[in-house]
Amino acid sequence: MKPSIIALSAIIAAVGIVGMKKPDYVRNMVQSFSPVGENGSALPLGQPQLQPSLRAAEEKPPIFQEIKRPSQPPLDTVVTAATASEVDESALRYFASQGDAARLQAEISRLKALYPDWTPPKDPLAIPPNEDKQLETMWQLYSQARYAEVRKAIAERQAADPAWQPPADLLERLSVAEARLRLINASDLKQYETVVRIGAQTTSLLTCSEVDVLWRVAEALFRTGKSQRATDAYTYILSNCQNPAERLATIQKAADLLPSKTVEELLTKEKTAPDGKPEFDSIRDELARRFIAEANADGKIIVPPQYVSRVERLAETGGLASDALLLGWYHLPRGDMEAAEKWFRRARDKEDSASASQGLALTLIDRNMPLEAENVLYRWRDASKEAKAVYLAATTNLLAVDPPIPITAEVLKRIATEVIKSRDAATAQQFGWYARALNQPQTAVQWFKTALGWKLDDEPSAYGLAITYLQLNDMKGVSEIQHLWAGRSERIAKLGEEEKEPETVRKRLPHAEETVTTQNGARPAARIDAVSKEPRGYARPETAARPRQRRSAVTVRGCRTTINPQTLSPDAALARGWCLMELNRPVEAAAAFEVGLLGASAKTREDAAYGQSLAYLRSGLASKAAVAAVKAPQNRQRALELQTAILADKAVAAFDAGRPRETLLALDQLKQITPERTDLMALRGYAYLKLKRYGDARRVFEALAAIGNTDGQRGVAIIHEMFHGND
Amino acid sequence: MEKLLAALLAGIVTLCLQAPPAEAQQPMISTEAWQAYKTKFLDPGGRIIDDGNGNISHSEGQGYGLLLSVLAGSPADFELIWTFTRTELVLRNDGLAAWKWSPGAKPHVTDVNNATDGDILIAYALGLAGQQWGRRDYTAAGAAIASAILAKTVVEEGGRTLLLPGAMGFSAGDRRDGPVINPSYWVFEAFPVLDQLAPSPAWGKLRSDGIAFVDELRFGPKQLPADWISLKPDPRPASGFPAEYGYNALRIPLYLVRGAVTDRQLLSRFRQSTSGASGAITIVDLSSGATRSNLTDPGYRIVNHILACVVDKTALPADVKQFTPTLYYPSTLHLLGLSFVAEKHPECL
Repeated sequence: MKPSIIALSAIIAAVGIVGMKKPDYVRNMVQSFSPVGENGSALPLGQPQLQPSLRAAEEKPPIFQEIKRPSQPPLDTVVTAATASEVDESALRYFASQGDAARLQAEISRLKALYPDWTPPKDPLAIPPNEDKQLETMWQLYSQARYAEVRKAIAERQAADPAWQPPADLLERLSVAEARLRLINASDLKQYETVVRIGAQTTSLLTCSEVDVLWRVAEALFRTGKSQRATDAYTYILSNCQNPAERLATIQKAADLLPSKTVEELLTKEKTAPDGKPEFDSIRDELARRFIAEANADGKIIVPPQYVSRVERLAETGGLASDALLLGWYHLPRGDMEAAEKWFRRARDKEDSASASQGLALTLIDRNMPLEAENVLYRWRDASKEAKAVYLAATTNLLAVDPPIPITAEVLKRIATEVIKSRDAATAQQFGWYARALNQPQTAVQWFKTALGWKLDDEPSAYGLAITYLQLNDMKGVSEIQHLWAGRSERIAKLGEEEKEPETVRKRLPHAEETVTTQNGARPAARIDAVSKEPRGYARPETAARPRQRRSAVTVRGCRTTINPQTLSPDAALARGWCLMELNRPVEAAAAFEVGLLGASAKTREDAAYGQSLAYLRSGLASKAAVAAVKAPQNRQRALELQTAILADKAVAAFDAGRPRETLLALDQLKQITPERTDLMALRGYAYLKLKRYGDARRVFEALAAIGNTDGQRGVAIIHEMFHGND
Repeated sequence: MEKLLAALLAGIVTLCLQAPPAEAQQPMISTEAWQAYKTKFLDPGGRIIDDGNGNISHSEGQGYGLLLSVLAGSPADFELIWTFTRTELVLRNDGLAAWKWSPGAKPHVTDVNNATDGDILIAYALGLAGQQWGRRDYTAAGAAIASAILAKTVVEEGGRTLLLPGAMGFSAGDRRDGPVINPSYWVFEAFPVLDQLAPSPAWGKLRSDGIAFVDELRFGPKQLPADWISLKPDPRPASGFPAEYGYNALRIPLYLVRGAVTDRQLLSRFRQSTSGASGAITIVDLSSGATRSNLTDPGYRIVNHILACVVDKTALPADVKQFTPTLYYPSTLHLLGLSFVAEKHPECL
């Protein structure tokens, strides 16, 4: 018995509200679960803990049933006047007069524990009722839980008869009952500190016969940040209390609060039920499901294999789609794509759902089967933000497949519709490359422009646009792009100079570019003509969360697995950062570059700082990009490039946020270091417009219109209309 | 401990010189009146029923019930009401009472926030009862609540000591126009007893600043305080509450006289500004000064009759001298008023 008592005492001692007398406490503990009776005395303190409980389990009455369903322990002892006179038997008499055998038996056990020398009456139900009618009434009120009225009755009697003292037993029971009521009320009101305080002050409540109180105290301990002590309380119940239903409920309640690892430890207290089955068997299925679900939310959690196989068995035999789904989502982040696919397929076969299709699409993307992925998920694309993100990942990858695969006109059309609806720059860009591969340069131009409209800093699209202009012999178009990207893209700048691209830049290139530019041969395929109009305005590119794992399945396989970059060398982390950038996973890339910043060589550090700035820019975090840029000295060219991108981003962000003054400030700063791009000039025009600086706006728009810029023409038209309207 | 208690008791005795506890055997509320009140408003289980409010109970009602039990000299009723209060309301982590208890709800407490006037009344009554009947458990419970009141609801703001109406929702941090106060939560007579239970200079400051608030925070043509007042940026009737001298504020003059405030000018002003037709007490729309309603229940009317008694020694009219329970709130004020007159101005009866 010792370990548990010590454990629970520790709970209480640690709570430390009241100092208590250990013997009383221990006696209460013992009394609460021991089938006191046969030898007429409470269990001695040193007796091993499990003994009474085991005995009670083997024989009949488990303790708390003592109250509900009394057994008939032998009562063949004789009342001796000497002891009886010292023992307050008024409660006994009351319960006897009521014929309340359960309470009567509990009271006998209690008195025997308190007074080892006392021997109970031979026929308890024949005990003469209390002579004292008032006291009888008090016991009656007590048994009806009308405690306030008991208190009132005592006070009234004392006022009438100052010499009268209420039985100590009544007072003690009353105060314990009140404490119990307060504890339950406080627990219902989530006043957990009060619950812990009352529990600490009323240790006689912390017994197996009050398992509900124990549960409430355990929860209160957990809610007040004492989860170890909460665990101790659940352990105490499982070590000492015998009622099977309550034991089962204890595990369920613990599992609601405590992590699976702790619950696993509690489960070691499992016993074998009379029918030979482990007593917690019936809830292990539910627990296994809960553990897996918990692990799905956190990829670091390792679930003991027996629970995984339990759910597998359930999924195989039970036929619930939800079990198969649990397994799919369990295996997916752990990299077991084959298993994940199997379970997602099974879930889908049972019942198609957004979640199952989304999971299956991810595994298909991973297997380089984006066409199938698109097909699986199309129906569910609008089910959630995540489903949409996975769908767009599938379309991006589908169009990037090398060599391009034939796609039916119907599918291409529906993809294009979705891309435009979602303003998805990544797929738009791939449409551009796809169109080029199919030798449809005009269409490619439209798509690259569309992508740039949604994502101003999308260098690959700009590059794609420029080489397509080159292909179309549109030298004016080429030079406009080169002007816009001056200082920001070496390969755009060098376009037309020579065929070969410098090695250093290649690292940042999108995977599709290499494949598609070499695919100039015309291929019969559907026309891509879904882009009906150019996007307008300055909406920021969407940074919708992409499924992290399977963004691309095409050319780069070096960084798809999730690795903590901290474990890599700076050079390896740097390489991984560029790789992640190619997969358009800038958040992870930024983390990888952070490790690269620790590199020994100045070159590595510079590259890492540069990469991190680009990564932050792509994530829409211009201010972080600015910080990253100064983490290592950059060469002039790159410094300029970064600063330009950062300021441009700031200007757009400020405009979007309705702060045109800040937009102008950023644009002015930008003008100091580089000639103003036409798109930013247009932005300037709109900023003036917002500030009602119509003269300035008109000047800017007219200049733009003069070089054939559509934004400029539109701006001029707007101003014209405004002033016509006013005249 | 003995010594401490003795000192404490002595302190209370000194403070309650006007009503020495030895004389407290002489109840200030008659047995008949108390019996009538109990029959109507005290549930056998120990809760005071607010029958004007859907038969709910609240910490204020429990506090009044406890105080009236002391004034009626009934330790058994006190024990009954306190047991209910302790087991059903004094459950908050901070030791204050949850304010609202609904008979039909489960759990019964439907708002676990506190109402500071309820806490003050409960702690005050516990202090009185502990001293009067030698019950250390009452004194200890009162001291715990008084300490919690200090810790959670008494704040310094702009050089003044304030009482927040609740531990949550009224402070400068909780409301843009906070702190918001309710001048009728200042139970002036309680502060000296609370100071004995949980000694602090704040109680004295609460009294003097509270009297100053009541004197200074006047609004509209009638120059009356509002039930709820925002102190930021300038004092004004708080938004979200009716801008009126209402059911809360109308007990302020009663609390003033019971708290031994004798400022004739202040008391006369209240009397003039709140007197309606044929002795009614008025609920006043502060911005216009218009009367929103005339309250004719003797439990309300007694307030101005007491002012007349204190200021001019005018006797109470017969129907006000008589106690017949009507509704919980006016009947409670009625007994508080009658017990005050019986004790301090028997000449007005």
